[in-house]
Amino acid sequence: MNLLQEEREIILSNEYIEHFDFAEVEEFVKNASKDLFISHNFRTKNKMLVQPRGGFPTYNKMYALYEFFVDANVDVLPCTIDSNTRLNDYATSKKMLRLSEESEVDMLNGYPLVNHGYRTTRKMITHFNKPVSLRHGTPDARLLIETAIASGIFEIEGGPITYLLPYSKNFPLDKAFLYWKYVEKVCAKYSTLNEPINRESFGPLTATLVPPCITIVIQLLEMLLSLEEGVKSFSVSFSQSGSMNQDIVTGAVIRKLAKYYAKEINCEDAEVHLVYHQWMGAFPMDQNFASQLISMSTAIAAMVGADKIITKTKQEASGIPTKEANAETVANTQYLLRILNGLPNVVNTEEEENLTLEVKAIMEAVFNDSADTLWRKVFNSIKNGIIDVPFSPHIINHNEMITIRDTNKNIRIIKRGNVPIPDRCFEYEKSKCDLKKDTTSIVNDIIHDIGIMQ
Amino acid sequence: MKVVTGVVGNDIHVVANRLIDLSLQARGFEVFNLGVNTYLEEFFDAVVETDADVLLISSLNGEAEGWCREVKILKSKYKNLDNVVFMIGGNLVVGTGDASTIVPKFKNYGFDLVFHQVDLNTGLDALEKYLETRE
Repeated sequence: MNLLQEEREIILSNEYIEHFDFAEVEEFVKNASKDLFISHNFRTKNKMLVQPRGGFPTYNKMYALYEFFVDANVDVLPCTIDSNTRLNDYATSKKMLRLSEESEVDMLNGYPLVNHGYRTTRKMITHFNKPVSLRHGTPDARLLIETAIASGIFEIEGGPITYLLPYSKNFPLDKAFLYWKYVEKVCAKYSTLNEPINRESFGPLTATLVPPCITIVIQLLEMLLSLEEGVKSFSVSFSQSGSMNQDIVTGAVIRKLAKYYAKEINCEDAEVHLVYHQWMGAFPMDQNFASQLISMSTAIAAMVGADKIITKTKQEASGIPTKEANAETVANTQYLLRILNGLPNVVNTEEEENLTLEVKAIMEAVFNDSADTLWRKVFNSIKNGIIDVPFSPHIINHNEMITIRDTNKNIRIIKRGNVPIPDRCFEYEKSKCDLKKDTTSIVNDIIHDIGIMQ
Repeated sequence: MKVVTGVVGNDIHVVANRLIDLSLQARGFEVFNLGVNTYLEEFFDAVVETDADVLLISSLNGEAEGWCREVKILKSKYKNLDNVVFMIGGNLVVGTGDASTIVPKFKNYGFDLVFHQVDLNTGLDALEKYLETRE
């Protein structure tokens, strides 16, 4: 037995799992309907796929949510996991699931997939026969993704960097890399049986003034970490920045460079998709304004040429949305995409060139690290601040980079810290901003720039 | 002047914490930022370790009230902290509360300066003034 299989058997022998039948799961994946694979949908559906967010604790409520989504003509169903499961606390999620079932009050903020188990969940997923995307935020997702794939969930979101730096203060980053290596290996293994399992990275990060070069570098690195383990279908993603121009430039550069770096490691046979997140920052309380913001996000996604859009709801500012509000966004987004035709092709060569130079310089610095494997190079680069994510709560993050918005609301770098932004690019970034201000008014600007959509 | 700062309790709201760090630096303080999700003992240990002049605790989700009841006990346990200025700011209670009742409550917990839902720079101006009058 090889090491991976040995590790899998340890992970899947757990008091919360009723006998994991490896052979049966393989048979299931081999014969599963092609419609369940988002990789197949990307290839065959000639449109931007629409995916909402959502997850409820009980099977019945989850089923009802999916019914609403299907009625609203959804393309991809979400399966959002509760926060206890994300932290591997299956005992608490089990207790809270029972309480939710008995009292009809939701005691969890998502679907406790491990507790429901794959035999139960698979019934629901095969019934709706739509691709399902696993949304979580788990540093150690080994058990979760085994259960997900066995259930028929063939898209796995996340990654060692994007699920850690925005969410955790001190979960060890090196461990996260190794746990996610397992995820990539298992996804790659199942990908040989039928259509490929799609992996998706979480580009929004902290969704707080993250400059495009940092977003793109992290997307590319998680893509490479995934492809080098044998994953054949991968989605890079980013979220609305607040400037339409900057989003279009980011989309163009990330597409071009994803292809370039995949080829560099001889993985050009892998399919790479682009996912756009509707505004991930603070939303307006006014639900009419929120709906306007959501429509605008959809229009930008169309300009960017995204392969999939992940939606928000007008209730975003007030908590977990109802299934009605969630389905409404899906229907509205589908409508908007249908009528958004004859879009102009906007190309901003100067901005694209600047962003490409920045990304390539950071990538080169990562590759030049003396470590022997890619994950160690990336780990070291985060540790020494070559990669620096604004507003990450994690202790390993440097927090030296400072960004503000220019007059056109583009996010600009005014302090680069240890990030190797080339001098020429740094001068370009600064030339767009008013740098005569003192720190106090810059801090006030930052507060304003974060709440730009409110 | 040295300042130890951070967000108390299981509170992961990082944005204001970064802005406090930036603003303190701009005012010439040497900042030791413990970041979000920090327990009270960690603050006290850091004050001793860095020989800080000011401890600035912040809170957004309102957990501060639960945690800060322990400040007096810890102060007596750690000793020699009489010259350290204890300051707290942010959103100090869960739900809604009135500054006129919250401020005396936190002063009673052992804080010299208390700011409930007060603008960051107003709070830091007050800190600088307080430090001047003390000299």
